[in-house]
Amino acid sequence: MSGTMEAAVVGLGLFVPGHPTLAHFSTEPADEAARIPAGAFLDPRTRRRASVVTRALADVYGEALSQSGLDPRDVASVFGSALGEASTMISILDQIFREHGPVSPMKFVTSVHNTAAGLVSIASKNQGFATSIGADYDTPAMALAEGLGLVVARGMPSIVVAGEEPSPEGLIPDESTWGLFAGAVALAPVERAPKEAMRVRAFVSGEPTIAPSETSPALSRSPVTGILDLVVALSRRETGRLRLDRGQGRGFVVELIDPTHG
Amino acid sequence: MSVTPRPIAAFAIANALGMNEAEVVTALREGRSGLGPSPIALPFETAVGALPGELPELPPELAGWSTRAARIAFHLISQLEEPLARLRARYRPERIAILLGTSTAGAEATEEAYQHYLAQGSLPPEYDVFRHHTYGAVLSVVRALTGAEGPAWMISTACTSSAKPLASAQRLMDADVIDAAIVGGIDTLCTMTLRGFHSLDALSTQICRPFSAERDGLNIGEAGALLLLARDGDGVALLEAVGESSDAYHISAPHPQGLGAKLAMERALAQAGCGPSDVDHVNAHGTGTRLNDTAEANAIFELFGPEIPVVSTKGYTGHTLGAAGGTEAVFSILPFREGWIPASIGAAPVDEAIRVNVPTERTTGRFRRVLSNSFAFGGNNVSVLVRSV
Repeated sequence: MSGTMEAAVVGLGLFVPGHPTLAHFSTEPADEAARIPAGAFLDPRTRRRASVVTRALADVYGEALSQSGLDPRDVASVFGSALGEASTMISILDQIFREHGPVSPMKFVTSVHNTAAGLVSIASKNQGFATSIGADYDTPAMALAEGLGLVVARGMPSIVVAGEEPSPEGLIPDESTWGLFAGAVALAPVERAPKEAMRVRAFVSGEPTIAPSETSPALSRSPVTGILDLVVALSRRETGRLRLDRGQGRGFVVELIDPTHG
Repeated sequence: MSVTPRPIAAFAIANALGMNEAEVVTALREGRSGLGPSPIALPFETAVGALPGELPELPPELAGWSTRAARIAFHLISQLEEPLARLRARYRPERIAILLGTSTAGAEATEEAYQHYLAQGSLPPEYDVFRHHTYGAVLSVVRALTGAEGPAWMISTACTSSAKPLASAQRLMDADVIDAAIVGGIDTLCTMTLRGFHSLDALSTQICRPFSAERDGLNIGEAGALLLLARDGDGVALLEAVGESSDAYHISAPHPQGLGAKLAMERALAQAGCGPSDVDHVNAHGTGTRLNDTAEANAIFELFGPEIPVVSTKGYTGHTLGAAGGTEAVFSILPFREGWIPASIGAAPVDEAIRVNVPTERTTGRFRRVLSNSFAFGGNNVSVLVRSV
């Protein structure tokens, strides 16, 4: 891609098993009681039916939103995941092909890739833009591109979320499995954000200068590890170029800019 | 905020009505449904919209990526060779995006692999989730076949999946990061979808009858539609605006008054800088379920009044889910050239609760601006506005 898009970063969110928030991840040891996302942002009626990835996506969305000052009833949202509700899909496959029984209607309606987008919009009474995308290992980069497109072309703040549930048992070779996590970045037009807000510019050329964050092998193999690297680097106010796919995608690179540095 | 209309340089389409544009147009003109028996074994009765022809095998170098979705993509791209060559001559490959939609991607391949897993304890050796199941798998095939090297993503918002890429492409052009985009979507028939909609009591046992007093549900169809959108130049139509909204109401039921649907239509009109009276026809989402048709008709009536002709094409193709938005964007372009809109087949007798004008015969006229609706699980709503050149 030639041509770039730039926005201010006005909120961040992260869920890693043992760390329910970005602040916890940055400062605290892992909490065994927080290995499953609470789904606290979701409507209580739907929370218990939501998959772990939907809960994680909702929680990081809520964390980024709470820092951003953006209007929860209006802000656009972009949810990225390579496999989405894969465990729900597998449980439907089991109902059909293993149990030879009926499909659960609730499982079916929550098997769609935009389950998290829909439940978050319901929870926040948000009648604005919501979308859900996938692009394998480029999912974080492409979700960011969609979010930046909203900011740059339409002046619409957006919250870009990416996450993946643990790799579905049986579908992924043992040596390639990954674990659950999700991250979120709230974006706003530069001119409407605090002057000190970090900025992200996508996409740029050149070799990366920011090293990926230190993660367990299981997290580093996830198709969406790029969002973890992005959230961690932004939270540390690192500057330079960051690749968003850990070498397994098409190599999209973003530039992180700290406007307080000259 | 008005946005710049962008030319739709060309399109290709395949669905239950035919394997190409000519076959599809003929069936629409004749008011002939493509719905029929399901090729997938099911423990219940329903009609489906299966593609009526054979799909080509992928080229040998892509054989390892073969799924029904990928083969539909290949079939459509083969129909677009000349306009794609023209785009590649005008724009750099990294400025041509691939922005598609699907709800199923390679689900039918995964169903087959999973049955192998249950029977034999392992997946078939040739199965690879990143070549046969994911959204990225189809994108990889499209990229290899078209030479487009720009941003590439698959939107999966259930039944709005292939309408939303038109908006994404518009925004990336307005942000000046791309010059052209391959947009649209592909969905294939699969057991999970058919059994899932059956679990919701949403399937008709007969050929579906959107807007009819006697409607009793929808039919599922498979389809593909690709449109080439360009920054400038000649086109068969203009993509004028895309309105998007969320119901924020229920994960699978529409807002009863169609508030989210109305909002999407209003946003499309506002983006285009025009009013309801400037629109000549609405291609409705019109699935054939009691709740959806009523809610949508309410929203259309509130915005446009009772006169505007409102047609559902689901009686021809079935509900093609992740391919519906792209398919019906193409259906919305056809009246500019053809000078007619198809009959809303199966609608007679139209439900008295449907207060809009649903033509049950083909209607001739001059059509300059058409709105196409797509609504989805999650309360996701998209209205695409296209205009004649």
